[in-house]
Amino acid sequence: MSVYSIARQEWAESIFKVSTEYAIYAPVEKFKTVDYELVTAENVSEIAYNGQLPVLPLKAFFFPVKENVGQEPVADKRIIIGVRNCDLMALKLLDAVFLDEEFLDIHYQSRRENTILIGNDCYAIKETCHCTVYGLEPYPQENMDITISPVGEVLYLSVATPKGATLLTKLNMTGLREESELPESVQRKRAVIREKLKNQHKELPGLEETKAGLLKTDASFWQEYAQKCVSCGACAMICPTCHCFLLIDRQNFEKVKNWDTCQYPSFEKVAAGEDPLRRLSKRLKNRYECKYIHKPEMFNALACTGCGRCIDACIGKIDKNQIIIAACKKD
Amino acid sequence: MPGKNIYKPILFKLDEIETESPLIKTFFLHPEADFHFKTGQFVEVTIDGIGEAPYTPSSSATVSDRMEITIMKAGYVTSKMHELHPGATLGIRGPFGRGYPLEKFYGKDVIILGGGVGIAPLRCLILTMLAESEKYRKIHVCLGAKSPGDFIYKSWYPQLRAMEKINLLRAVDKADQEWDETVGVVTVLLDKLDLDFSESVAIVCGPPVMMKFGTYKLLEKGVREENIYLSMEKNMSCGLGKCGHCALGDYYVCKDGPVFTYDQIKDYPDIWI
Repeated sequence: MSVYSIARQEWAESIFKVSTEYAIYAPVEKFKTVDYELVTAENVSEIAYNGQLPVLPLKAFFFPVKENVGQEPVADKRIIIGVRNCDLMALKLLDAVFLDEEFLDIHYQSRRENTILIGNDCYAIKETCHCTVYGLEPYPQENMDITISPVGEVLYLSVATPKGATLLTKLNMTGLREESELPESVQRKRAVIREKLKNQHKELPGLEETKAGLLKTDASFWQEYAQKCVSCGACAMICPTCHCFLLIDRQNFEKVKNWDTCQYPSFEKVAAGEDPLRRLSKRLKNRYECKYIHKPEMFNALACTGCGRCIDACIGKIDKNQIIIAACKKD
Repeated sequence: MPGKNIYKPILFKLDEIETESPLIKTFFLHPEADFHFKTGQFVEVTIDGIGEAPYTPSSSATVSDRMEITIMKAGYVTSKMHELHPGATLGIRGPFGRGYPLEKFYGKDVIILGGGVGIAPLRCLILTMLAESEKYRKIHVCLGAKSPGDFIYKSWYPQLRAMEKINLLRAVDKADQEWDETVGVVTVLLDKLDLDFSESVAIVCGPPVMMKFGTYKLLEKGVREENIYLSMEKNMSCGLGKCGHCALGDYYVCKDGPVFTYDQIKDYPDIWI
């Protein structure tokens, strides 16, 4: 991986120059929350490289809330800046589902191929961030084209793919300097963040222990937690790996792929009326079994990357980590 | 250049409709593009602008220029299907799923246990097997219905009965005056079979309660778990192993099934609902 350094100011100016060719999205802070915004002349200097995790999971860029898949795919060329490792690692599961060779989803493929992903070291972490529990690092590991590690007014760019290298050439930045490696200060910062993450979730079991714990839960366990669940589905909508959808029919045999979730009533209901997930407690249980037992087995990928968004989003204040801790508690 | 759009149906013309029972109709279709399927696979049928639902064809998989689908009126889309007239254009995506591994049935006694509209996919299996009937020892067709009038494909049974390869047994819950076959649940027909169950394969398709007790009875008779093939009914939306609606443990029923052996799924809770 080649490493370069560039002044923050020149990077902002150069990246903005290619906004005629690419739609550029980056995390921008507004009303104390950070989310992806289309980069414009007005907000280009406000890109939150060191800010909080964007509210929107990255999946929405490749698997939109609503998408007409009856027509041929038309994907704009895009650059997404400030992407976090939890979201990048979630793409592993989404790629396995949508880029499956037997049934390749050309709409997803086209969006993936036409997007350049610029990852970001996580310097600001939330209380609910817990990626290290599942073996992830607080900086981009896979699926990024370039990683940005900011040190003061200097940005260190680690180029991971030919796509990233091509973009860098295109930006033609005069102040770009090749570095032998990432500076010691970035390495130290990464170690500090990793430790901080580990310390804030000391009691939380890893994937294998979570699986074992969930397998021994009984119906009453889920009935108790389900009392606070209102089936709003926010946990699934905000999850970077949840990929369930419903095909809705339109005229001319067109289909609209619309986000859906097992947390909604009737998700598994069949025409004759049977519904294995009729009870809310079963739907809640299904979510955990899907994430920690079945999906990792089916796709050899994590279905929870520890972003903590589901905990932040739950209006019933259900803390999925507390459920896992309770499930794994020794009798 | 993008590849094939997996969400785009190919068009079929509806040629004819036959009423099988008050709630069941068979739709005779022909494709407007090349279309092939294997027995046990299913298709997603779209009524333009209305909706899409999964069905297993009931005609032979060896025939590719036409296809029959038997549909029970149960929900919104199936009710709309029942309102269609010949000449209508339907969209079909698929075929999906793995189908029956026929080569594993070669040389064996094959028990086919079906009930209600579950007989439809089994008709496809039987017709496909009959196209190479010499490969099977004997095909024991055990079918059940609520009453004699509820049997679908009424004109088909005399033909089946005349075939040397076929052993046809039927049961009804409630007989009428003309019924001279078995009265009782379909599983009682298994007691009438004289064969080595431990070396036989069984295929079950029907309402959940029939699948459950049919499987238990087959196990009791000595059929091995890995030789019992079950057609699992699930809410299949995409058919492609992506939308998540038909998840069953580590499987997506649409892609990994819809036919599973009992030993593949027996440890999952709620498989019979």
